[in-house]
Amino acid sequence: MHYLEKELNELIQFWDEEPEALRTLRSGAFKQYKEVGLPNRKWEGWQFTDFSALEKTSYRLASPGDPPPVPETLPTIANCNRILIINGHFQENLSVLPDKVTVQTLQHAYATNPEIFNKAVVNNSNPFHNLNTALMNSGLAIIVGDNAVIDNPIHILYYTTGLTEPIMNHPLFLIVAGADSETTIIEHYAGSTNVQYWQNVVTNIKLSNNAVLNHVRIQEEDLNGNHIADTAYTLEKDAQLNAFHFASGSSLYRQNIQVNLASSGASSTVNGLCLAKDRQHLDQQIIINHLKENCSSNQLFKYILSDNSAGVFNGRVIVSEGAQKTDAQQTIRNLLLTDKAMAHSSPQLEIYADDVKCSHGSTTGQLDKNAIFYMRSRGIDVRTAQLLLISGFAKEVMETITNTNIDTYIDEKLTTWLEHIGVTL
Amino acid sequence: MLEIKDLHVKVEDKDILKGINLTVHPGELHAIMGRNGSGKSTLANAIVGRDSYEITSGDILYNGTSIVAESPEERALAGIFMSFQYPVVIPGINNTYFLKAALNAKRKYQGKTELDAVEFLKLIREKLAAVEMDEKFLHRAVNDGFSGGEKKRNEILQMVTLEPALAILDETDSGLDIDALKIVAAGINNYRRDDRAIVIITHYQRILKYLEADYVHVLINGKIAKTGGENLAEQLEDKGYSWLDN
Repeated sequence: MHYLEKELNELIQFWDEEPEALRTLRSGAFKQYKEVGLPNRKWEGWQFTDFSALEKTSYRLASPGDPPPVPETLPTIANCNRILIINGHFQENLSVLPDKVTVQTLQHAYATNPEIFNKAVVNNSNPFHNLNTALMNSGLAIIVGDNAVIDNPIHILYYTTGLTEPIMNHPLFLIVAGADSETTIIEHYAGSTNVQYWQNVVTNIKLSNNAVLNHVRIQEEDLNGNHIADTAYTLEKDAQLNAFHFASGSSLYRQNIQVNLASSGASSTVNGLCLAKDRQHLDQQIIINHLKENCSSNQLFKYILSDNSAGVFNGRVIVSEGAQKTDAQQTIRNLLLTDKAMAHSSPQLEIYADDVKCSHGSTTGQLDKNAIFYMRSRGIDVRTAQLLLISGFAKEVMETITNTNIDTYIDEKLTTWLEHIGVTL
Repeated sequence: MLEIKDLHVKVEDKDILKGINLTVHPGELHAIMGRNGSGKSTLANAIVGRDSYEITSGDILYNGTSIVAESPEERALAGIFMSFQYPVVIPGINNTYFLKAALNAKRKYQGKTELDAVEFLKLIREKLAAVEMDEKFLHRAVNDGFSGGEKKRNEILQMVTLEPALAILDETDSGLDIDALKIVAAGINNYRRDDRAIVIITHYQRILKYLEADYVHVLINGKIAKTGGENLAEQLEDKGYSWLDN
């Protein structure tokens, strides 16, 4: 991973206006990263994923000197405020920002809001997180004001296209939902290119007291992309998080999700749908930290795996001592469509309190042959019956997306995806 | 309409049907009775083409043509329908969507235009009334959370919507309370027409009190042991099956 150090040095030289403290932060984080290197299969929680592909190609940091080509057609979700980022570059003139929401560049956020910034980038056991701190070159701070009720979702579209050489971006998103605010934020990664690229994203989301946040993360990178992400939510008193993680893109995907229920009465629902084909490897780890009493957490993750793809889901719910009256549920369902597709999932519970309600479960199965026959006996052909059954499996989790425009968008993605997959079981 | 000739069927390497002969003409209602394990459901599943039912010899003709090499969907499109003994739950697929997909597959096969959502809803409301089902069933996933009786009524709803020429009703009466039984029986009676045939498979004589069966067949150990009229069902109710053994 020699190229990373070279890129860091060039970045520090190039951004010579950066405050000394920020440079120190970068160098410190890189040192942390170098001590352990990239995760390997001996690491607890990382054993099913091979990151060596990131070492085989030298990625150059996308730099401000790159002219960002703006494609004529971009993925659109109806009735949204849009924040557009192309190849790592924020397109302010093409972005439509709502009132009561402050959007800042990272430099600006660092200057005006160092507290939020520093909390988000503290050293972390995840080497990708440290690498992001060292190399962060993209991203925004998005601050939703107290009491703000934002009707239309804020759609952050991070699009990668028109590459001529392999690039990487290390975006950092800092999102704060103010007290008593209500917002929907879509964090959307997509791409279209013949050249390999690597996204290493950190998203840090804080929900203040009584805030309601719907966070929809859509990862539909080009198959030439590698997408690594670290998403952390912290919920204050009575805050409510409804998150949905949709992933169908990139050849290598790993996301670490952490939910910290940091004050009483907070509740989180984190659901997800992964669609994998070809040789895609989609890996997610989620840790729910129940730190205080009277909090609830719900998870429903579904993976649909075709061809030679692999899906990994590692879920842990940790109920701290004192987090009484915790209600935690976790469900993982894998659907295998071919005999070469693989699913690894492990739900885990660690409970250090005694008055709690926790459940977890994981299932891996194939399409129900009885259901297929039932449909065929009604005149529906095999392929249609299979696709109906697969979409029925997906719909059960998609129903939890409350915004119909977002649901429609993901439904269209599912329909297109289904048209191109193989089913042999 | 249906002609079964010396049919032998194996399930999981076990001989279940050992030479069935049965002819059903348009307009007729046949009842097939027998104990558990006598081969009643195997016969129904063999007619609709379930793949785990292996036909080792004999033939099934539908309108004069052998159908044993045809897929379940081809048989369905040609007009054969089975009401399932255990209707399958299909999570995530809306009942309306499922019915519409099935009906439009059939309309397409018949060279008719497919119905749009509005046309379909108009049609399905009429059909719902025929089986006294609430519209709320349309919005739920197929058979998901349905009671036993609701599942069976949903089967009859599918039958009256798809309008098959030959309906095989596999223990449609089992698990029904008396009110549901009457509704299902009325649905079947209303469905009868000179150009349609019904084969009802049942354990009990009770649903036959509400239907006029033209023939009653008793299946014992994979063969039709006796054929008679409605009075045969009454005899079975009184005497059981043992007098027919040997």
